[in-house]
Amino acid sequence: MIDFIDYLLGGISSGAIIALMALALVLVWRSTRVVNFAQLGQAMFTTYIALTVRELTGSWFLGLIIAMAAGLVVGVIVHFLVIRPVKRLDTSGAIIATFGVLIALEALAAMVWGGDPEAFPPPINNSGYEAFGRIWPFSPYDLLVLASVVFLVLALSVVFTRTNVGLAMRASAFNPEVARLSGVRVNRMLALGWAIAGLVGAVAGVLVAPLSTLSPTSFDIFLVFAFTAAVIGGLDSLVGAVAFGIGTGLVIALVSGYSDSSNAPLVALVLLVLNLLFKPEGVFSHHKARAV
Amino acid sequence: MEALVQRFPGARLGVNAVTALVIWGLLTWVNQVIEPLMSYYLATAAMYATAMFGMTILLGLSGQVSLGNGALMAVGGYIFALTSMNWQTVPILGTPWNAVWSMVFAGFGGVVFGAAIGGIAARLRGPYLAGLTLGIAVGVPAIANRFPELLGGENGLMLQVPYPAGGYTSGDTSDEAVDDGGEVPLDEEPVYEELPDDFGDFDEEFTDEFGDELDSDPGDLSDEDLLTEDDLLSEDDFLSDDDFLTDEDFTTEDGFEAGIDEEIPEEDLLSEDDFLSDDDFLTDEDFTTEDGFEADIDSDAGADLDAGLDGGSEASEGADITDPAADLDLAGVDAGVDAGFAIEQWQASMAIAVACVVGFIALNLVRGRQGRVWQAVRDDPIAAAVSGISPAGSKISAFVVSSLFAALAGAVFAQILTYVGPGAFTLGLSLSLLVGIVLGGRNSFIGAIIGAVILVWLPEFVLDVSADRGWQNQITNNAPNFIYGLLVVLVVLAAPGGIVGGIQSLAGRLRGQAKSSSSP
Repeated sequence: MIDFIDYLLGGISSGAIIALMALALVLVWRSTRVVNFAQLGQAMFTTYIALTVRELTGSWFLGLIIAMAAGLVVGVIVHFLVIRPVKRLDTSGAIIATFGVLIALEALAAMVWGGDPEAFPPPINNSGYEAFGRIWPFSPYDLLVLASVVFLVLALSVVFTRTNVGLAMRASAFNPEVARLSGVRVNRMLALGWAIAGLVGAVAGVLVAPLSTLSPTSFDIFLVFAFTAAVIGGLDSLVGAVAFGIGTGLVIALVSGYSDSSNAPLVALVLLVLNLLFKPEGVFSHHKARAV
Repeated sequence: MEALVQRFPGARLGVNAVTALVIWGLLTWVNQVIEPLMSYYLATAAMYATAMFGMTILLGLSGQVSLGNGALMAVGGYIFALTSMNWQTVPILGTPWNAVWSMVFAGFGGVVFGAAIGGIAARLRGPYLAGLTLGIAVGVPAIANRFPELLGGENGLMLQVPYPAGGYTSGDTSDEAVDDGGEVPLDEEPVYEELPDDFGDFDEEFTDEFGDELDSDPGDLSDEDLLTEDDLLSEDDFLSDDDFLTDEDFTTEDGFEAGIDEEIPEEDLLSEDDFLSDDDFLTDEDFTTEDGFEADIDSDAGADLDAGLDGGSEASEGADITDPAADLDLAGVDAGVDAGFAIEQWQASMAIAVACVVGFIALNLVRGRQGRVWQAVRDDPIAAAVSGISPAGSKISAFVVSSLFAALAGAVFAQILTYVGPGAFTLGLSLSLLVGIVLGGRNSFIGAIIGAVILVWLPEFVLDVSADRGWQNQITNNAPNFIYGLLVVLVVLAAPGGIVGGIQSLAGRLRGQAKSSSSP
């Protein structure tokens, strides 16, 4: 039983980060109906930028801020250069294009920073709290991660529900043509969706890097986790992405704890297959799955 | 040609067979006259083409974006490795095992896995299918790690390729290889596998009874331990040798410890004439008359080790599209220098044969009814369903066929690398198949072949350019992938048909201009 609690505690922060990544995928899907398979590639790239800034200035926080800005910029660039032109074509073209961006970004990162894994130490203590005579697998850094994620999700929900921009973004996602007729600059809103997704992904990247190491391909596995969480949540639902992101993280932590961490991708795969077979429209989706 | 084909129903089969045979003959001739290194490129390109014929059907004709084909190549590769390593005879039939049987079982495994994935995939569209197959591609190494005893875990499995050494290796090259002591890794794994069982037993005895004891810290030995070693040391060979075991060593305890510590280094034991000249495990016959053994010394062992080491290092680097090809260059060069008829030439002829057989099957499927069914479902599933075609069945059959091809390509890949492991079948491999098919042209088999050639040629081209300009390694190694990524985006935006589609539309435009200018 104490093992069970340990595994759950250890999974909370990675679950929260997977929730952020799933959130980024959902933001892009809502704005342009594209799954951005390059999302975690962008996050990897901005995390390298954060690492460089941190090495130059010694400030983790400055690295985070610069990475967030870079995430915004990269998201907008990918949207304008790749997705907007390709959206006029077939859907498989958009999917392939995002994979092209992923390949190019991973190669570019390896060219600039080298392919070897680099350590990205946590900014604050990463050893567990001690209480009731034992050490719990929950550290001050986990607390920081959790606080950051909660803050970001709350801020996003305020933007989406309480501001005009958020309303315009939701309108553009829900019905672009009616939104356009109502005077919303839909294309700008779509680009904003990509920008925010890039920012959220950048935060997720900087937060997750200390939990493992940073290499051009080290986030590939998180793409699978985040995709799993986003799809189970319905791809359309911000709440679903957060809930199932944390859920996916906890399930992975439990399976990794009771068996072996190399099983994690298989767990994600099983979750994904079960969901796609039995509830393909996702748990939180507003729309019915389209026939055929 | 088309009129002929339409008049005689069987003519299509004949035309496809002649096409495949002509290409096979041409490539086989080319393989005879080129350098071993070029043969290696040819083998790799044929392997990529085999896998990408399946991508043509899956992505081009059936319209499904799948990243799972690298994983299905792993299925074929592992089945080939396991069956060729573990089975001496064919189950049920009882006939002697050979590589063709392993290929058949690899293909069968591909069909089974393809049907399983296709059954799920048929219910999915677009990004869902891409994400699911992405998960499969990423999950493959986890499966290898899940069954470390069977699948070799992170290190993978080494395999002996059925390289028919007797038919190719001339006597003097093998002599050269034997004489060249520095080059021949006599004490390495692949050679051990070829030796008679007696050697293995002797080796084990030796390490158990002597090696382990000598390695352990003498300080740990209590008096009882020393006394019980009498059995061991009473072996006549060792006791009679005054140089390293004298009576003083036995009678005084201190002397004995010192003797074990200093005076019996392992080299002395190994250099004993009894040991090395033992007929059981290294006889002259083994070197001069046993063909399989010669082959190993020539090139196989070296290639094995290089491939294994490269594969291992790749595994830690993670997905890198060009790595398997780039790394194998080294193995290819080494083996090519050692052998008269290089193993690459054998590998290339095998890969070419498989590619031509697969191409023949693919041509027949695509130019027949099934090809039209796939296209109908891709273009309009509802209309196809109204016409009595099952969209799900069509998608599953496309998946099964492409899985079959991928598994066969994986078996060929395993024989080129002489190794299977998580490091060989990365997400990068799946992505490279996607890159190749998109660049070459996803709607035709010519596109698949062009894509395969690009995948082999571009890294070499970048290597040449980098040698001229003096680029750093990390730039040289990753520039091909960077170019691939940019090209994929460009092709999707500017020429969705890839190179073949671009040439076709260009030719169509030129023809249209010619027509409009000639006719008033």
